[in-house]
Amino acid sequence: MPVQDRTNEFRACVESIRNRSSFPQRGAEAKQRLLTNGKGPESKSEFSRTASSIAKDISSTTIKLGKLAQLAKRKTLFDDRPIEISELTYIIKQDIANINKQIASLQAYVKQRNAQNNKSPEGKQLDEHNHNVVMLLQSKLADTSMTFKDVLEVRTQNMKESKDRTEQFMHSTSAAASQAPSNSLLFGNSQRQQDPMGDGTALSPRLDIKGKGRAQPNSDILALDLGAAEEGQGSATGDAFMQMQLVEQQDNYIQSRSTAIESIESTIAELGQIFTQLAQMVAEQRETVQRIDADTVDIASNVSGAQRELLKYYASISSNRWLMLKVFGVLIVFFLIFILVS
Amino acid sequence: MKVYALSVVRAPPSTTSTTLSTATDLSSFSFYQRPSVGEFMQFFTKTIAERTPQGQRQSVQENQYTAHVWNRGGAEQLAGVIITDQEYPVRPAFSLLTKLLDDFIAKVPVAAYDAPAAIAFPEINAYLQKYQDPRQADAIMKVQQELDETKIILHKTIESVLERGEKINDLVDRSNALSAQSKAFYKTAKKQNSCCVVM
Repeated sequence: MPVQDRTNEFRACVESIRNRSSFPQRGAEAKQRLLTNGKGPESKSEFSRTASSIAKDISSTTIKLGKLAQLAKRKTLFDDRPIEISELTYIIKQDIANINKQIASLQAYVKQRNAQNNKSPEGKQLDEHNHNVVMLLQSKLADTSMTFKDVLEVRTQNMKESKDRTEQFMHSTSAAASQAPSNSLLFGNSQRQQDPMGDGTALSPRLDIKGKGRAQPNSDILALDLGAAEEGQGSATGDAFMQMQLVEQQDNYIQSRSTAIESIESTIAELGQIFTQLAQMVAEQRETVQRIDADTVDIASNVSGAQRELLKYYASISSNRWLMLKVFGVLIVFFLIFILVS
Repeated sequence: MKVYALSVVRAPPSTTSTTLSTATDLSSFSFYQRPSVGEFMQFFTKTIAERTPQGQRQSVQENQYTAHVWNRGGAEQLAGVIITDQEYPVRPAFSLLTKLLDDFIAKVPVAAYDAPAAIAFPEINAYLQKYQDPRQADAIMKVQQELDETKIILHKTIESVLERGEKINDLVDRSNALSAQSKAFYKTAKKQNSCCVVM
């Protein structure tokens, strides 16, 4: 986002508010003083000039980065423009290093002023403001560098994919045989210009490798630059370029290690999810089991009640027998009397 | 996926290199081929170690062998070379080389480097045998393998929990029906008791 100067709008707002409300005379005078002090552009301190130029550089770098991101996103097999991309990458790298140096000098200037200044309240506020501005610029630069690194990663990924596709279309064994030695030779010594196969099929894989070879050291320098930017020292840029060769080869191994560990981490996260799902399912089933429990208790009570009734019935039947015997005995006696009489 | 040879080489930057310790496993070659293959491996090792700059890793492919070399440099100017077949995964190979060199530096004093024949470093054989199966030896791969096994077990567990859910649903229905029937049984028994008093 480009830096906009909205001081005039701010001043107009202040004027309108002042005219609307009733301020005491003293406050109005103080504000008048502030406004007149900040008026002319000639009174801008050297600090703010440097800061604004750095901010402009950062914004232009961000625009270039956007263009690079768009170029890097293209996934076509043949229309790739490695020269442009690598040029743009180089320019952006230079810009970032430049901005880094400027920020470092700005911070040194701030520290120097800090040492000179007496402890007036205005001076303290000014120092704090300067410090904040430097922090802001540094964080903006760090964001830009992060975006740059992401773009480079996307680019290397795309190049890997296009290389795989190229191998599919061209003779696979010849490409593979030329891969490994040219890989090591090119990475180890980027000046050697060997053509391993001697025919045209080696050209495009080689260009890809060269682009990749240049893309990767950028990420290493970036890592070192980020560290430098975050700490606010500008001296590491020169060393960064020299360490490029050494850090290149480590990067593959370290990257593969980090991907392996990331896959482990994602597996563990998956396992955690599975456990949660499992717990959820068991909790759902708990309700149902409780229903079964209640039903079983009901069944037990019903069956025991029914047994009690049957027992009572049985008891009443067995006790009733005596009454029955008595009733039947009386009937039989009457029948006997009637038969004997007749 | 096999490791054929593992060696520790002293590789000063510009002069020739000397092999300090080697271990080979040529059991997959026929008995008569072994000497020549062994010599080829030694020559390969020395050449590769000489051609790798200090502090760099490199992988070179030759017919069906792949050699990974890690030139540690440092004060002892050591390099580790491992020759494997093409299937062997690259990352555990380099981590093996790192481990091997660290172990070598810890166990063998620098003064012994001038007499390579006298260096006794039996751990190199142990490393060779152990790393024949990289999935078990390399820590990261072992963890990944165990995690995968655990994932499979958890999937089976979830399937059995689903089955359990179905059975529990079945049980609920049955217990509902049983409860209704027992209630009817109780009512009938009660009715039996109160009305139509049998004489």
